[in-house]
Amino acid sequence: MKRAADVTLVLVLLLASAAALLAGGPAATPADALAALAGGGTQEARMVVLGLRLPRLLLGIGVGAALALAGAALQSLLGNPLADPFLLGISGGGAAAATAAFALLPAAALGLVPAAAMAGAAGATALVWWMARGPLGSSSTRMILAGVAVNAAASAAILTILSVAPSPRLPGALAVTMGSLASANGAAVAWLAPYLFVPAFVLLLHGRDLGLLATGEESAAALGVEVGTVRRRVFLAAAALSGGAVAFAGVIGFVGLVTPHLCRMVWGQSTRRLLPRAALAGAALMVLGDLVARRAVAPAELPVGVVTALLGVPFFVVLLRRTS
Amino acid sequence: MLPFACAGPPASGAVDQTGATVPPGPVRRVVPLAPDVTELAFALGAGDLVVAVPTAADFPPEVQRLPRVAPADLEAIVALRPDLVLATTAGSDPRAVARLHELGVRVFTVDVTSFDRLAAACREVGRILGRRAQGDRLAASVEARCARAGAAAASLPQRGALYVVWWEPLIVAAPGTFHDDLLRRAALGNLAPGGAGRYPRVDLELLLDPRLQVIVAADEPDLRAGFARTEAAPAGARIARGEVRVIWLPADPASRPGPRLPLALEALVAARERMERQGTGHRAQGAEGER
Repeated sequence: MKRAADVTLVLVLLLASAAALLAGGPAATPADALAALAGGGTQEARMVVLGLRLPRLLLGIGVGAALALAGAALQSLLGNPLADPFLLGISGGGAAAATAAFALLPAAALGLVPAAAMAGAAGATALVWWMARGPLGSSSTRMILAGVAVNAAASAAILTILSVAPSPRLPGALAVTMGSLASANGAAVAWLAPYLFVPAFVLLLHGRDLGLLATGEESAAALGVEVGTVRRRVFLAAAALSGGAVAFAGVIGFVGLVTPHLCRMVWGQSTRRLLPRAALAGAALMVLGDLVARRAVAPAELPVGVVTALLGVPFFVVLLRRTS
Repeated sequence: MLPFACAGPPASGAVDQTGATVPPGPVRRVVPLAPDVTELAFALGAGDLVVAVPTAADFPPEVQRLPRVAPADLEAIVALRPDLVLATTAGSDPRAVARLHELGVRVFTVDVTSFDRLAAACREVGRILGRRAQGDRLAASVEARCARAGAAAASLPQRGALYVVWWEPLIVAAPGTFHDDLLRRAALGNLAPGGAGRYPRVDLELLLDPRLQVIVAADEPDLRAGFARTEAAPAGARIARGEVRVIWLPADPASRPGPRLPLALEALVAARERMERQGTGHRAQGAEGER
């Protein structure tokens, strides 16, 4: 049963990816796209499929997997079902820095916005970590509270920047706050892939430790888990994944929060196996969300964060009602 | 210019372009809330009635010697004791306008979504400012310039086009905007989708749509920088190959639905005429007034 569900998840991701590559307007119809994927077709269709849709698909897979993985790890680490990159202020810190960069940088330097977002996410992470430190170390509750405070400060900073930003810069700044995969290109994917791979690997490596930590810190320590080290590594890895996601896709708040819960409801509580499944499910949700965002009112685009929420929430509600 | 006392402001009321009623009363102290309506007031010869201008106003040069007011600073606006505030749907915060209405301040809001609406705005604002003759003359001038540009454009082949207001993300002017009318009058068919707002964000693939032949944008540094990055990206392939031509219009006339908007249309038609004469094979076409 669980194996069948795993296969279903992979199939959903593959089908969503195929649809994302094939679906499109006059620049490359599904038939054109199919020909381009087979190595033929017009130069235009190859440009659209390989130059636009493929990087966008890969970015969607990377961002969706990163957010879901980060959410699953943070929820297990902090023992809080509401923990995710957004609640902990990491996404907010990245978005605030990106919005400020949009408002302040000279026109020729706007390409530095992703770097600013990543620096903002790192700064927010450091701030949360520092604020959560008490005489007896950092507790989960302190970390959540610190995250909430940093997130509130980031939201206030974003709103302040948006209200005073020069009006020609507003569209770009708003796009950061609403989330979009439209900026995907080969360079972004080539840069992001190794950046996401390392923290993802760290999290997967600590899957068992996270499972033990979820049962309590003392029992985990008794079973040989180095709680402080694991906590530090997992938090930094989750923060790095979130920073990478917000740098290239803006704030997409739903995927990191709900995807791990969806996986737990379907496959049970095993944290070790939850992480790869959450990554797959997050990638599938993001690819499907972006497909709908791109095609629902084509050629106009909807914010992808809105679509992932619209797709995921009903599914989540049904599962919540069915499970005890 | 005559002092306001000689202008004979009317005491009659009006209905503005959003359908809101503007009560009757004298007009001696005018505060425009956006650069386009500031330009309109001055073009109507009512600059002497203007007691403050919005912070973004930079034309005509006379505005430099007037006090500045932030369009969202209701306290400062009320303190100026205006008997008429000029607002626009192209940039004025509707909540601020509603609050001014509630406070009993007379507000006339223009909603310029086409050149016809611009001519109507010239007449209606001219009338409420007590500059009926100037309003009629300005409207007639707008109509005549549009007609001349339209006649010149009639000989141009129809081409698929987009008016780009931002490159990253790609945001374009939809049907029903003054930018759409600008394209239409220059024999350009707007490929932007309708029903998704006036300025929707669109899929980058639209830049590779084979129907797209011309892109029009305001010539300002942010847009030039965004264009350079887009042109170098896969989505800019047709632009880089010269299959899609880019026409840069003088920024302020093209971005503000005010009395200088006909200048943008004339520049666009002139650029199109040059473009058609040159045929295919060049990359970006500058318009009159280009920096």
